[in-house]
Amino acid sequence: MPTHENLPEHATGQNRFRTAPATLFMDRFMTVAIKAGGALVITSVLGIFVFILLQIWPLFAPASVVEARNIQLPDNNYSIIGIDEWGALPFLMEPDGKMLTADFETGEIRKIPIDFGENPPPKFTATTLNKREQDIILGTNDGRFFMVSPKYSSSESDGRQLITINPKASPAEPIGIPGQPVQTIAYGESGSQKLVVAIQPDGDTNRISASLYKRKRSLMGAGKTALAASFDLTPLIPGTPSRIIVPGTADSVIATTADGKVHYLVQNGDSGFSLAQTFSPFSDLENPEIATAAFLFGDVSIVFGSESGANRIFSLYYPEGGDKRLFGLTHEFPSLGARPNFIASTLRNKAFLLGGGNALSLRYSTTDSIRWEQGVPYDPVNAVISGKYQRMAVLDSENKLHFFEIHDPHADSGWKALFGKVWYEGSSAPKWEWQSTGGSDDFEPKYSLIPLIFGTLKGTLYAMVFAVPIALLAALYTSQFLDPGSRAMIKPVMEIMASLPSVVLGFLAAIYIAPLIEDEVPSLLLVAAGLPIIAASIGFVWSRLPIEFRKFIPAGREWIVFLPVLLGSGAFLWSLGPAFEAIAFAVTDPATGQRVGDFRAWWPAATGSTFDQRNSLVVGFMMGFAVIPIIFTITEDALSNVPKSLLTASMACGASRWQTALRIVLPTASAGIFSALMIGLGRAVGETMIVVMATGNTPIMEWNIFSGMRTLSANIAVELPEAPHHSTLYRTLFLGAMVLFLLTFAVNTVAEILRQRLREKFKTV
Amino acid sequence: MTTNTLKQPRPDFINIRDFSFFYGKKQALFNISMEIPERQVTAFIGPSGCGKSTLLRNLNRMNDLIDDIHHEGDIVIHDKSIYDPHIEVISLRKRVGMVFQKSNPFPKSIYENVVYPLRVAGQNKKHILDETVERSLRGAALWDEVKDRLHESALSLSGGQMQRLCIARAIANRPEILLMDEPCSALDPIATVKVEELIRKLKEEFTIVIVTHNMQQATRCSDRTAFFYLGKLIEFDITQKIFSNPSSKQTEDYITGRFG
Ligand SMILES: Nc1ncnc2c1ncn2[C@@H]1O[C@H](COP(=O)(O)OP(=O)(O)OP(=O)(O)O)[C@@H](O)[C@H]1O
Ligand SMILES: [Mg+2]
Repeated sequence: MPTHENLPEHATGQNRFRTAPATLFMDRFMTVAIKAGGALVITSVLGIFVFILLQIWPLFAPASVVEARNIQLPDNNYSIIGIDEWGALPFLMEPDGKMLTADFETGEIRKIPIDFGENPPPKFTATTLNKREQDIILGTNDGRFFMVSPKYSSSESDGRQLITINPKASPAEPIGIPGQPVQTIAYGESGSQKLVVAIQPDGDTNRISASLYKRKRSLMGAGKTALAASFDLTPLIPGTPSRIIVPGTADSVIATTADGKVHYLVQNGDSGFSLAQTFSPFSDLENPEIATAAFLFGDVSIVFGSESGANRIFSLYYPEGGDKRLFGLTHEFPSLGARPNFIASTLRNKAFLLGGGNALSLRYSTTDSIRWEQGVPYDPVNAVISGKYQRMAVLDSENKLHFFEIHDPHADSGWKALFGKVWYEGSSAPKWEWQSTGGSDDFEPKYSLIPLIFGTLKGTLYAMVFAVPIALLAALYTSQFLDPGSRAMIKPVMEIMASLPSVVLGFLAAIYIAPLIEDEVPSLLLVAAGLPIIAASIGFVWSRLPIEFRKFIPAGREWIVFLPVLLGSGAFLWSLGPAFEAIAFAVTDPATGQRVGDFRAWWPAATGSTFDQRNSLVVGFMMGFAVIPIIFTITEDALSNVPKSLLTASMACGASRWQTALRIVLPTASAGIFSALMIGLGRAVGETMIVVMATGNTPIMEWNIFSGMRTLSANIAVELPEAPHHSTLYRTLFLGAMVLFLLTFAVNTVAEILRQRLREKFKTV
Repeated sequence: MTTNTLKQPRPDFINIRDFSFFYGKKQALFNISMEIPERQVTAFIGPSGCGKSTLLRNLNRMNDLIDDIHHEGDIVIHDKSIYDPHIEVISLRKRVGMVFQKSNPFPKSIYENVVYPLRVAGQNKKHILDETVERSLRGAALWDEVKDRLHESALSLSGGQMQRLCIARAIANRPEILLMDEPCSALDPIATVKVEELIRKLKEEFTIVIVTHNMQQATRCSDRTAFFYLGKLIEFDITQKIFSNPSSKQTEDYITGRFG
């Protein structure tokens, strides 16, 4: 080609259309690398998600109960079943006072003689079991009772646990009418006293006698128990009691009569007993008769089963406004469908087994849930659950003993426990409550997430109420009214504020702000109410000033005049606080009888809500500080990114700066502002350290600004060190994390949809 | 404004006196002095970057929005300096409307775009707004195209329609002076003709200053033409005179296309 003759080779050769191999390689390599990286990120996020789900799932899983083996026992009329802690060696009592054990591992049945130290051996007419110690109490035909302690021991052999039993009987004690056979016996034992109640025939009627034993304190430590008093309870109970139960507190007696009534007798010191309450659990049923009744673990609630299978739980609590602890219906379960023969409770939680009419049903009182239910091809007549709630032994009418393995680590959990209102023992109504640890052994953890979700929302709300107006107005002012010189300084300062670690803010809040606010609430109120008014009036006065004054201050630098005035009046208002407090928040000082201004005392008196030093106001204030820079910077960017051409167009139409800001800039930037709010909200929802440090972390449910809260995130931080691996608490914390995630996810999704709408609506050319 | 039409038009309605303008240190206008007559069309022509838009934007002080600018000299409209501190810039801009080089509709409906000047002036009466919308859109030769979609977004319009919408917006509040910065640069020939017709019609009421790169347009619709070069006013005269018999060599070179 002649025209190319004088061009160099690189400008004419075909090589100039080639792509360098390195470019191609890089291009392909980066494509693969980026894809792999993306896939990795998605997989790990999903992995975390799956992990959390796996942690949470068992909270909602039903109990697994499987029959492991059964052992045919010799025919006899076994009165009670007891079991060791591990569920390996249950014992049954024969009517003649002999003990029979059935070994779960080997299936071996052994008769264990008990030495009562009498010849001829005593004749027994009544038996009961003290569940806590698995002690057997035997009433004799001559008005006495023996107590037999099974004395289980566990040893290790060949790496296997070996459980042995070595029952010991203590010498007989007389009860009630001497020489009269004991028909029914009940026993309760607390740390300081024992209560034995017996029913004996007394002529044509029955006599109910109670013996109270007290532990004597001696110099050598805990001494022997000795009879302290005997009482005749017969006159207290109308009708003939068919069943008596004594709780582990050994200070009251529950007697049920054949007409389906329950009589609750309480001890009044040493002087005797009195009837505190009579109630009828099944009064609304056709047959109100009580088929079976037993205390649940903790001895505060009684499970009743009616002849028809109805199942209700009555618990002791102080009724609203009452000063006496009485029984009231707290839980109702579906009917078993047949007469329940027994109720077996555990020593670990509020679960109980109800059996009868070819059905077994494992239920959990607190959460009203049926953990497991099954029809069985036999009629269960008695059962016992091991102390660790791992195994149970069910005796059927053919004297076959069925062993079940229970796997139900999170019996106290479930939808209801986590999200529903739950009627916990001791409270007077169903509530949402969080309390993971308590003082006593029979403390029942309360795992409702609702107070935490509430706390999260409360903290977020107060933070946003404080932060949003300030951040938005500041961003609007900075982007639309401030001169560029000052703007160039403000933005980086705000960005530094955004990067302040929240632990620093929390520390500041707890150590400095909280005590300050505690004393100066009236000052704070004055400033909060006064400053906006003053600011607005300064603006008004300024706009009315003749131009001769205004022209000294260039547009955008009005703050040079405003700031000193604002600060000055703010300080002035603050100093008015004590005077304001004396006028508006006066209370009568109980010590001197004088009227003094004291907001801390005034608030609870006036509103009935509490005043805590570390309260929502502090949190809102400090969390607001954490959120303001974020909202501010993003909003400022959004506002500044509104095309200049729109501003000039608006100005050219004769709009003022304010009109332009309001009518053009704000709507156009609304999508960005919305994102800013949502990101701020996300930060506030997930904020942990400030809340942990600046509130009392009390999981309460009230909007009171002067009380604290506990948020989901703070809850995780506070509880995690105390949560044993794979415990209900541990899993509940994961659930809390999941709820937090879902909360922010929901907020973000809604926000994103709205943002897209806004962006579509206000998109610029 | 209606009273204006009765009075004799003033030859020095806009009086630019020895006006210089600086973007920071950079001087964009050099000692411009000219008198723009009332109710006539004055065209600013000149090569790109010579300061036409700068001068135009000064007439309603739109340059105030730019940081670090200053000026020397004065601009007097109707015997009042526009830099008089007692004059509110906002009311100045209400008197002096503007159509920009690049169309800049608000992200609002067509209707709201047109009534925006009325709304910011506090006018919210529906019948007045409705009447204004129809009149202004007819004025900007856009009515027939958009009358059925007044409440759709202005951004759904074509580029040329948007520019006419901006004209409609600029005349909605009937300013005394209308500044137009290359209003037809994005328009097709038919729309251009419409706008030119519009300009001729508007000059019965308004004083119009138009910046254009289109010589034909200047001859077709302006009464007077000012030629700028490198920030200086080279020549300002009756349009016919400028195009038939320019007194400056530079002007002649430019209009005959023998420039640079
Ligand atoms: N905002 C600004 N800041 C700094 N310099 C500017 C600014 N706007 C314009 N200038 C400069 O001022 C001079 C005049 O610009 P102007 O926009 O007035 O030109 P013009 O005649 O309108 O050109 P065109 O025909 O291309 O629109 C140019 O050199 C330009 O670079
Ligand atoms: Mg220009």
